[in-house]
Amino acid sequence: MSTQPQPEHTAPPPEPGQSKVRFWMVCALILALALPLQLSVDAGLFPDVLNPYYLHLLTIIGMNIILVASLNLLNGYLGEFALGHAGFMAVGAYTAALLATKALPSAAALPPVLGTCIILVVTLGGAMLMAAGVGYLIGLVTFKTVGDYLAIITLGFNMIIVNAIQNMDFVGGPRGFTGIPKNTNFLAVAVCALLTLGLLRNLIQSSFGRVWVSIRENAIAAELMGVSIARAKNWAFTIAAAFAGLAGGLWAQNQQFITPRSFDYIKTTEILVMLYLGGMASLSGSILGVVAYTLLMELLRNLLSTFAPQLAEWRMLISPLILIIIMLTRQTGLLGNREWRWLRPRQGA
Amino acid sequence: MDTIIQQLFNAAQLGAVYALIALGYSMVYGIIRLINFAHGDIFMLGGFIGLLLTTRFGWMPFYLLLPLAMLLTALVGVTIERVAYRRLRNAQRMSVVITTLGVGIFLENLVRLTVGPETRQIPARLPSAPVVWLQQHLGAFVTWDKLLIILISLALMAILWLVVNRTLIGTAMRAVADNKDAVPLMGVNLNLVIAVTFAIGSALAAAGGIFYGQAYSIDPYMGIDLGWKAFIAAVIGGIGSIEGAVLGSFLLAGVEVITVAYLSSNLKNGIAFGLLILLLLVWPWGIMGKPTLKKV
Repeated sequence: MSTQPQPEHTAPPPEPGQSKVRFWMVCALILALALPLQLSVDAGLFPDVLNPYYLHLLTIIGMNIILVASLNLLNGYLGEFALGHAGFMAVGAYTAALLATKALPSAAALPPVLGTCIILVVTLGGAMLMAAGVGYLIGLVTFKTVGDYLAIITLGFNMIIVNAIQNMDFVGGPRGFTGIPKNTNFLAVAVCALLTLGLLRNLIQSSFGRVWVSIRENAIAAELMGVSIARAKNWAFTIAAAFAGLAGGLWAQNQQFITPRSFDYIKTTEILVMLYLGGMASLSGSILGVVAYTLLMELLRNLLSTFAPQLAEWRMLISPLILIIIMLTRQTGLLGNREWRWLRPRQGA
Repeated sequence: MDTIIQQLFNAAQLGAVYALIALGYSMVYGIIRLINFAHGDIFMLGGFIGLLLTTRFGWMPFYLLLPLAMLLTALVGVTIERVAYRRLRNAQRMSVVITTLGVGIFLENLVRLTVGPETRQIPARLPSAPVVWLQQHLGAFVTWDKLLIILISLALMAILWLVVNRTLIGTAMRAVADNKDAVPLMGVNLNLVIAVTFAIGSALAAAGGIFYGQAYSIDPYMGIDLGWKAFIAAVIGGIGSIEGAVLGSFLLAGVEVITVAYLSSNLKNGIAFGLLILLLLVWPWGIMGKPTLKKV
C-alpha cells in the first residue's frame, strides 16, 4: 500500500525534511547539563555565576511545563475547556506531603541518594495515583456536559477540592501544611518534565491520542466511527489529572509549605495564561509558553524593583493583559498546532 | 418565631444582592451566549466606586450616589465590552470566555493595587434604626437599611422587567436573544442592543456592590466568591431568564442562610458548588430556562 500514490486529500502534509535532532538527544543533552549544574550548585561552586536563584527559576519552569503540557491534552488536543487543573495539583501536593511526612521515614534515615530517589518515587507515584483517581471520578460526571457547562463544572470541582482541604484538620486546614521535607531538586524536576513530555508526545501521536483530536474536530463523526466518546474523554481527563498531581507532588516537596489558597482559581488561570501564550495542541508551544511567561515575569520583577520599586506590584496586571492581548490578536498563541521537529515522531517509522 | 423571621430577612437581603448580580449574568448569556466571568468583578468595582463617592463626596445623598455609581459602572462595563469582547464576537466561543477571565483578574489586581487589599466598609448612608412596626408586631429585630436594601433591589428588578418587556429596546433585546443573525437584517443595531445589555447588567451589579458594602464589607477579591454564587443562582433559575435569575437568587440565599444557621459556615461554599454541579447534571436548564436540543 505504501508504494501506491495516495489521493491528494488523504496525503499527509509534505514534511519539510526530517531533522537530525531526535527527542532522546534533547533529553540526553538536558540531563547532561542538569546533573553537573545541580551538583555544583549544591556544592556551592561558583556562587556568582551559578546562583541558586537561577536553579530555582529552572525548577519552577520544569514544574510549570508538566502542568501546562498536561492541560494542553484537555484544552488543546481534546478541545474541551477545563478550568480545574489547580484542583488536581492540590490533590497531588497534599498526597505527596502526607506521604512524605507521615508515612515515610525521613531521607536522612536512608542511604543518601537512593533514599531520596525511593521517597520521590513513592510520594510522586502516590500523588499521581490519587490525582488520577479523583480525576477519574470527577470525569465520570463532568463529561456528561460540554462547552460552557464543562468549564463551570470543572471550576466548581476545583473550588470544592480547595474547600474540602480547608475543612480537613489533619492537613492543617486553611492554615496550610508545614514541615514538608525538601526532596525535590532541579534534577528530579527535569527528569519528571522530560518523562511527561515524552509520554504525552507518544500518547498524542498514538491511535489512542488521535481519537482525542478526532473528537475535537467532529464529535459526531468520531462517534459514528465507533469511538466511545465518554471513555476517551475520561481517559484524557484522568491522564491530565495524574500529571497535574505529579506537578503538585514536586511543588509540595520543593516549596515545603502549601496552603489550599495557593491552588485556587488564580493558579488555574495562571496555568491557562501560559497555555494560551504558548499555543493550543502543541507541546512545543507549552514549553515555549512556560519559559516565555516565567522569564517575562521574573524580568519585570527585577527591572521594576531596580528602577521603580514603588511600581513592583504592578506586574500583577501584566499577566491578565497578556491573556487578553493574545486572545484579541493571535488566538492560536505563539506556536498553535505546530511542533518543533524534534518533538515530532519519525515519519514512516 | 422571631429568629425565623430575622433569618428570612437575612436571606432576602443576601438574595437581593445575588439577584442584582445574577441578572447581569443571565441577560448577557441570554443575548450573546457568553458567560461573562468578569461580571463578579464589575460588581466588586461597583462597590468600590460607591466607596470612592461616599468618601470623596460626603455631602452626596444616597439617592444621588446610587444612580451616579451605577452610571459610572455601566460606562466601565460598556467600555470593556467595546474594547475586549466585541471583536471576538464571531471568533471561537472559548476565546471570549478566556478574555472575560483575563478582564476579571485585571480588574481585581487593578483595584488591589490602587485601593489596597484591605477589607473595607462603605460608610453607612442608610438609616440603621430598627423597624419599630416589625419589632412590635412580630418581635423581629430588622433594621431599616436591611429593609430598604431589599425594597430598592426589588424596585430595580421591577424597572428592569418593565424595560425588557414594555420598551422598544427591550423588545430588541428579546429579539436578539431569539435570533442574533436575523435581527440585524431587520434594521436593528446589534452593537447598540448588546452595549445596552452590558450597561444595564453592570449598573445592576454596581447597585448590588453598594448594597453589599453597606450591609457587609467589600474587598478586591469579593467578586470571585459572590460572582460565582450569583452565577450559580442564575443557573438554578435557568440562565437567560430574568424571572429565573431572581427566583434562583432567593432560593440560593435561603439555602445558604439555613446552612450557616443550622450546620456550619465552613460548608457554605461547598454546598453551593455541590448544588451547582448536581443541578447541571440532572437539570441543566434550571427552573425557568428552556431545554435546548443539540443540533447535528
